[in-house]
Amino acid sequence: MTGRPGQDTPARPRFNWRDFFRRAGWLESIGIVGVPVVTVLAVLAPWITPFDPQLRVAGAYLPPSAGHWFGTDEIGRDLFSRIILGVRYTWLSGLAVIGFTLIVGSLVGLISGLMGGKVDLVVERIVDLFIVLPSTLIALAFVAAVGPGLVNTMIALAIFWWPWYARISHDEIRRLKARPHVEAARMAGVRGPRLLLRYLLPGVVPALLIGASLDLANVIMTLSLMSFLGLGLPAPAPELGAMTSRTLDSLTVHWWLPILPAAIIFFLCLLANLAGDGIRAALRGA
Amino acid sequence: MVKLSHRMSRSATEPVLAVKDLSVILSREGRPSRVIDNISFDMFPCEIVALVGESGSGKTSIGLALQGLLPREYLPRVAGSIRLAGTELVGAGGRTWRSARRHLVRAIPQDPMGALNPTMTIRHQMRESNGGSERSIKDWLARTGLADPDRIADALPHRLSGGQRQRVLIAMAMMARPKLLIADEPTTALDVTIQAQILDLLRDLTREQQTAILFVTHDLSVAASLADRVLVLYAGRIVEMGRIQDVARNAAHPYSAGLLAARFDLDSDRRRPLPTLPGERAPLINVASACSYAPRCPIAQPDCMAIRPPLEAASAHGGAVACLHQEQTPLLSTQRADAKPWPAVAVQETAALRLSNVRKTYPTGTRSFWGRRQSQPVLRSVNLTIKPGECVALVGESGAGKSTLLRIAAGLEAPESGTVTRFDKLGPQVVFQDPVATLTPWLTIGEQIGERLRGVSLDSEYGRRRVGEAIKLVGLDPVLMDALPAEISVGQCQRAVLARAVIVPPSLLLCDEPISAMDVSLAATTLNLLSDLRRQLDMAMLFVTHDLAAARIIADRIAVLKDGELVEVADPDAIIAAPQSAYTRSLIAAMPSLPAGGGR
Repeated sequence: MTGRPGQDTPARPRFNWRDFFRRAGWLESIGIVGVPVVTVLAVLAPWITPFDPQLRVAGAYLPPSAGHWFGTDEIGRDLFSRIILGVRYTWLSGLAVIGFTLIVGSLVGLISGLMGGKVDLVVERIVDLFIVLPSTLIALAFVAAVGPGLVNTMIALAIFWWPWYARISHDEIRRLKARPHVEAARMAGVRGPRLLLRYLLPGVVPALLIGASLDLANVIMTLSLMSFLGLGLPAPAPELGAMTSRTLDSLTVHWWLPILPAAIIFFLCLLANLAGDGIRAALRGA
Repeated sequence: MVKLSHRMSRSATEPVLAVKDLSVILSREGRPSRVIDNISFDMFPCEIVALVGESGSGKTSIGLALQGLLPREYLPRVAGSIRLAGTELVGAGGRTWRSARRHLVRAIPQDPMGALNPTMTIRHQMRESNGGSERSIKDWLARTGLADPDRIADALPHRLSGGQRQRVLIAMAMMARPKLLIADEPTTALDVTIQAQILDLLRDLTREQQTAILFVTHDLSVAASLADRVLVLYAGRIVEMGRIQDVARNAAHPYSAGLLAARFDLDSDRRRPLPTLPGERAPLINVASACSYAPRCPIAQPDCMAIRPPLEAASAHGGAVACLHQEQTPLLSTQRADAKPWPAVAVQETAALRLSNVRKTYPTGTRSFWGRRQSQPVLRSVNLTIKPGECVALVGESGAGKSTLLRIAAGLEAPESGTVTRFDKLGPQVVFQDPVATLTPWLTIGEQIGERLRGVSLDSEYGRRRVGEAIKLVGLDPVLMDALPAEISVGQCQRAVLARAVIVPPSLLLCDEPISAMDVSLAATTLNLLSDLRRQLDMAMLFVTHDLAAARIIADRIAVLKDGELVEVADPDAIIAAPQSAYTRSLIAAMPSLPAGGGR
């Protein structure tokens, strides 16, 4: 058997963080570390803000300074504290949408992929239908119809997000089912849930993980867009998109008010994308 | 570098390729390994040199190094000198390499489909690669023996057969009139009858075009049917070189001698185990100052572990050999005590498997929107009975329906009509072609072997003991129970797959081309193991293969399948001595073999 050169010594496939980060690349590794760090910060947000984000703590319209890193807003609230709380809303709701659609979508895909036949055909056409709809437009219409609010926005997003994971897990299951090692396991008498959990699922997880991590930035962007358009939480709540849009008219005078929340959205998306790229690079090698 | 006598006759011609002190280091997972270790050789116009070695010997890397195509992700470091037609290529820039690849060195790959662009017609690809005129494209296609060059030129690759694709690639390579052609196992993916034709074609074209061919292969008999000289490679070093007849008759290195002895053909003794190479390649600690073959060598002395043997003139033939004790090598063939013959198999006159009138068709071609696909018959009314304890080999070329028949016998597919009767409650077990692919990468060997015990008992202590026994039965170290498939070698994976198949011995074992992707020594080892297991465990066996020699060695009966029909079923020696069908005769005629008197 000739093949790739230098393959006589098999690589040790046991999981090893150093190898993982080396394959991911150093910039991407920042993303991979950054995503859990931001998540922890988001969870702890109410306890780590330097000032109470809802109260007047200084004069209005103070520019960024050592006392108030990101300055203060029109009624003297600390912008840095408000942004930390905004990250909490945006980031955690993004993760929730991803997590929920990941579970629902991959379950649908796994079941239809495993069963095959007529069920598969029908489910796949339904998935197709959801994928071809102009999702952002209909999500906007949905929120406009049922009324703005964070939960409604998340539901609207989730409705259009799960089909992608259904598609990924379905295709992976179909691919794996035909692989010799699964066929060999079936010949060895492995059936039902055991076949799914031990022989199929571990092969599907990497593709789903890659898909989900690359999607996180997308979801955050869409959530922020909805909140920018006023479809998120009502006014006093510090949502990053809403903060940008409410203060957009003072861009030339008090630049920090719209720019800094927008910059944070950009930073979160960048981090999530880097993590996605890194995870893809690291897992595809393995 | 030793001056070799047979080169003197050619001293008038300059070597077209001069490789001197070439070393290549590739880094995998951050660990550097020396895949080519200080090798030197020359090649002359018109000459065919075979590069022979087992998997991992570095033979593919040499071919890639000569084209400057070592994979970049392994951070290749190349030292030494490669002079091709007067141009130094080590350290050369991208422009020089590109020009060399276009005009001086061309390659024919192992997998012809992978080397062709599926979206371009053959004509378009040939023009891309050579810029030749319309006439010369047609001319070259005709020269490679393609009957209808116009049709072929306008076709897309998927419309052609494997043999036709390989001919197209040869035409594409030779059209550039390269000085050197690298052929990396160009025939392994092809059927035996096509193999012989491709080898003939290569030989004729080089003579005509004055091209030198570096023929990379693991199979000495294929090498012998084509090459003038041979380089035997072990662990990145040349251990022996010389004229192919010399090496085949009087191998001076124990490794070459072992390779030759492990080779089996239509004349090998099938009543006893085949000779094999001892053990597997093991890493050495002080590799720089030792013979890399020493850990496996049957005639190794203490000094073999202390001195790296230089490549020096061989005493047995006009070539060169790197062995400190080359005078001992001839003793190997006499020393090899005749192994005990296999015990006779008690074949009962009942049946373990009976296929009657089995038919199967597959849909082919495109489907119209409402219409049905056309169907292509794969099996037309096959009748075959395997008795308990008997081994039947199913021989045929690709597309003959061998694998389909095996899958039907295994119950993985249902026949369209006809009946499959198995006379045992315990289902049959299957050994598939690629042992690595049939093991789940994230489960340990032990977990996968133990899977079949779940029907017997769920007690984990009992399970571990039984798995340990099965692992020992197939000749593996029980320590490997906790290893993942990627941590062990291909040969060990094959044994693990067998352990899973026999931990609860089935009454019927189905093997689908289990040795077709293996090099000679591993194939012989696997055949021995299968022969042993089926006798010990009293299993009936269906052994699907395209290799008549392997079929003859392992089977009690051979069934020849052609276009979905059994054309002949008989005793192996009878079928080879007196084949009844024209098709079987062509299979036998196409078997490559060493020149008379060689090898034994």
